[in-house]
Amino acid sequence: MDSQNAFLRNIRQSLGLSPDEERPKRLFPALFAKTDTTLILQGIKNRTAEQQDELVELLKTNARALSITTHIVRTYEEAAAVIIHLVRTKSPEFTPTKHIIHHDHPDLAALQLWKRFDREGEGVTVHTTFSPDRQLREKTIASFIGITAPDIGVADSATLVQFTATGCPRSTSLVPSIHIAFLKKENLVADLREAYALLRERARLDSYVFITGPSKTADIEAQMVHGAHGPREVHLLLFCLSVVAETPNEAPIPLVPLKEE
Amino acid sequence: MNNTNPPTYRSAAAAGIASPRLQKSLHGLQDRFGKGAMEIWATMDDREMRHRVKDSRMNTFAHLDIILAELAKNVRARGGQVHFAATAQEAIDYTLAVAKKNKVKRVVKGKSMTSAEINIDPALEGASIEVVETDLGEYIIQLAGDKPSHIIAPCIHLDRNQIGELFAEKLGIDYSNDPPTLTMAARSALREKMLGAEMGLTGCNLACAETGQISLVSNEGNIRMATTMPPVLVALMGMERVVATLDEHREALHLLTRGAALQKLSTYVSFLGGPANADDPDGPKEFHLVIIDNGRSKILADPEFREVLACIRCGACLNICPVYGKIGGHAYNSPYCGPIGAVVTPLLDGINKHADLCKGETLCGACKDICTVEIDLPRMLAALRHKLAYGSDRWNTRQHNPIEAYVYSLWKLLVSNSFLYRLSLRLGWLLQRPFVKKNKMISKMAGLADGWTADRDLPPLAGRTFTDLWKRKYAVGRPSASKAQKKGGS
Amino acid sequence: MTGAPVSLFIQCLVDSMFPEVGEAMVRVFDRLAVPLAYPEGQTCCGQPAYNSGYRREAAAAARHFIEVFAEAETIVCPSGSCVHMVRHHYPELFPGDPVMAERARAIGARTFEFSEYLVDVLRVTDVMAEYPGTVTYHDSCHLSRGLGIARQPRMLLENVRGLELIEMANSDTCCGFGGTFSINYPEISVAMVDEKITNILATGADAVVGCDISCLMNIGGRLSRRGEKVKVLHLAQVLAGVEGESK
Ligand code: SF4
Repeated sequence: MDSQNAFLRNIRQSLGLSPDEERPKRLFPALFAKTDTTLILQGIKNRTAEQQDELVELLKTNARALSITTHIVRTYEEAAAVIIHLVRTKSPEFTPTKHIIHHDHPDLAALQLWKRFDREGEGVTVHTTFSPDRQLREKTIASFIGITAPDIGVADSATLVQFTATGCPRSTSLVPSIHIAFLKKENLVADLREAYALLRERARLDSYVFITGPSKTADIEAQMVHGAHGPREVHLLLFCLSVVAETPNEAPIPLVPLKEE
Repeated sequence: MNNTNPPTYRSAAAAGIASPRLQKSLHGLQDRFGKGAMEIWATMDDREMRHRVKDSRMNTFAHLDIILAELAKNVRARGGQVHFAATAQEAIDYTLAVAKKNKVKRVVKGKSMTSAEINIDPALEGASIEVVETDLGEYIIQLAGDKPSHIIAPCIHLDRNQIGELFAEKLGIDYSNDPPTLTMAARSALREKMLGAEMGLTGCNLACAETGQISLVSNEGNIRMATTMPPVLVALMGMERVVATLDEHREALHLLTRGAALQKLSTYVSFLGGPANADDPDGPKEFHLVIIDNGRSKILADPEFREVLACIRCGACLNICPVYGKIGGHAYNSPYCGPIGAVVTPLLDGINKHADLCKGETLCGACKDICTVEIDLPRMLAALRHKLAYGSDRWNTRQHNPIEAYVYSLWKLLVSNSFLYRLSLRLGWLLQRPFVKKNKMISKMAGLADGWTADRDLPPLAGRTFTDLWKRKYAVGRPSASKAQKKGGS
Repeated sequence: MTGAPVSLFIQCLVDSMFPEVGEAMVRVFDRLAVPLAYPEGQTCCGQPAYNSGYRREAAAAARHFIEVFAEAETIVCPSGSCVHMVRHHYPELFPGDPVMAERARAIGARTFEFSEYLVDVLRVTDVMAEYPGTVTYHDSCHLSRGLGIARQPRMLLENVRGLELIEMANSDTCCGFGGTFSINYPEISVAMVDEKITNILATGADAVVGCDISCLMNIGGRLSRRGEKVKVLHLAQVLAGVEGESK
């Protein structure tokens, strides 16, 4: 704290103020004044179905430009089908066997992924980030697909806002080679302004991340390469209960026979 | 900044100019990103935003004591530790102490210019700690034992073949000059490093005082790795890299990612405040924020230069500067290159020491036009030259070139007295005669103009000046001429 | 067009090295019947000193300028950078002297660059000039960025009979002159002007036109050394219908 006092004294001196007179925050209410977000929040809440569908379209367009593959899914079954297809067709990057890991989240639990692979025959192991599993770090590192359910989607920039929470750790969307994000349409907002308004409501969160597309770099001759350190692919499962019929899918839903439940 | 006997600005510039490879990269960079940023600014719906963010930055500085105190309070409330470091050494000492306490053997760094500014790597390495840069560009630079030459694209001066050879040598892979193959090789090598490091060391793009969080922007994901996998995190933050509220954060971020790489948003923007929960499988168990002055308060104290603290290090000014576009980043001999480097390096590290950075630009104004937060860099370059011209106690600067000062005092005499001025022109006309060639140009000149004539011809002084001609040919028959004229000079 | 005469401020380089540019300006104004005056005591606006940091010396030049042009109602200059100096830097040169600072501000408000004066003040875009040939236009920095003048010279050029304007790439990128910069850092300066020349040559135009003789001197000096045939002309020379007599 001494270093802090000396430091801030010096700043006051540099500002031409009396160095020893601390300036209490309450005397400068304008400094931390919050803009009124009521209207923004209302706007999000009162969005009509058509407006939401417009956001979906916008998100799809922007996602495509960022090499995010969007899959519109109408049921949990469809979502599971997409994931199963990806697990079956993609190859692991760092390990010989197929491990996948998903957040401990109700929407992901609803997919019942642990039931859908025949561990022996297919060699697919499904992990869930239950807290406090001490082996989660190793399981995450071993997984080639990480599945999360981001809390907010931003149509304007095709951004996913992923909160860190118990059972929803940071590395699931980062360490595996492929990130699959399950986003409900109602969690879609128009732009960052709306997203920040929601974030302000969640001011107590210690950690969250905005994810916009797969990891990328252009450090070698400005040529864009995906998969610098984070996931090299991002798939977005957009869960739309009511969908405009003519919305074509970015990637067709594969007709994978689901295992008997 | 602690190089011994670096090449001079002029010689390093000449080397950069002589490299066709560098010229090609710089041209490509500027053509795409410089123009792209100007295009974005020109077509932005919210024309006031850049102005607003600048105002908000300046307002933050006027209340910096309050805002930093609030930031520290809120980070601590989240369980983070905050250390205020007045000097580079204090920041190094603190970071080293954290590393030692945690028995750190390897530090993975997220791209941080502040860490380069305080030159922390030798101190860590001196304590037998392995230091690994994780940004691909920085990693390449580190492997090559080189220095970054762009704020955002550190290895812009290296081409794929050089990087291919470097990787073949250092990583033991088969030679390839294919960027995806090279990137994947680095991906594997760095993944091991990042998963096995005990400490992450990052910078801070913008801290938010209101929430008590820092935010870090990256495209590669290396910074997320460095802040997620190692159990200890130290974030180094220049004291000016803070905003008061989330609202201000949003707008600054909006501009940063556009100015830097024409993106609506970078791939990752991480917000972190304090350590992870005990039960979390990842995230730092210790979170340290080091807030660094290292000469910034001196800049803060000078109204002429305070504005430079508003910089959000987007690098856009490098992407348009015609001087940077020719010489590249190495000539600046500083972690901060390009127009922003030319202003901030002398202020942080000595105006006399970096006199060439103050003088080696044309003041064309392109950097001011493109600057994401409307910083008037050319104005400050002129102000730095002003310090060099006469010396400055405040900046501990001595007069840079007494001979030049003498020349200008003579010049002052001439321009204030039209008779002497005309006389000197006449004299110059007489003296130049032996130098004027048949094509009516001077191609070799001694003295001051020598720099000009090395590669350019110089037109000679005219036998009759316009003033002479006016008197002879045009003055007559213009009754109104004298009316606008008070006196013929002093 | 009568009334108070326009006082010519002939940039020092034009006066001493390119008097034909001043003459061309006179011809254009005569054609438009604009009464002219030439305060003969004028020397240099002080820009070289200012840009090198020598503000006391620059202030002396400014003081002289303000005296010499004290009674001029309108001042017109064939150089964007000099006008920029007068308009934007003079007022900064007299800290602690509000009277001079105000005079500086006032003189800045009545000092115009040549093309700006024609187009924005006189509202003339066609000066009845003829120039048979193709030209390309270089936006000098202080003119285009500092004063925001880019449209005016082009409007004037487009109305010149027989002239075809071919835009070059990056016309507003600095030519590398930068005052003493060109002497102190010749390698950088020449690299910059070479790029400018590449862009000029790519247009195939017969001539490059600009509104700042310092840039044109830089471009011309390099073109001459390289033995290129492209002509270098000040806008006034084109508008006077003069085909680069001395070039
Ligand atoms: S000076 Fe402006 S343009 Fe340059 S890096 Fe800083 S914010 Fe970006």
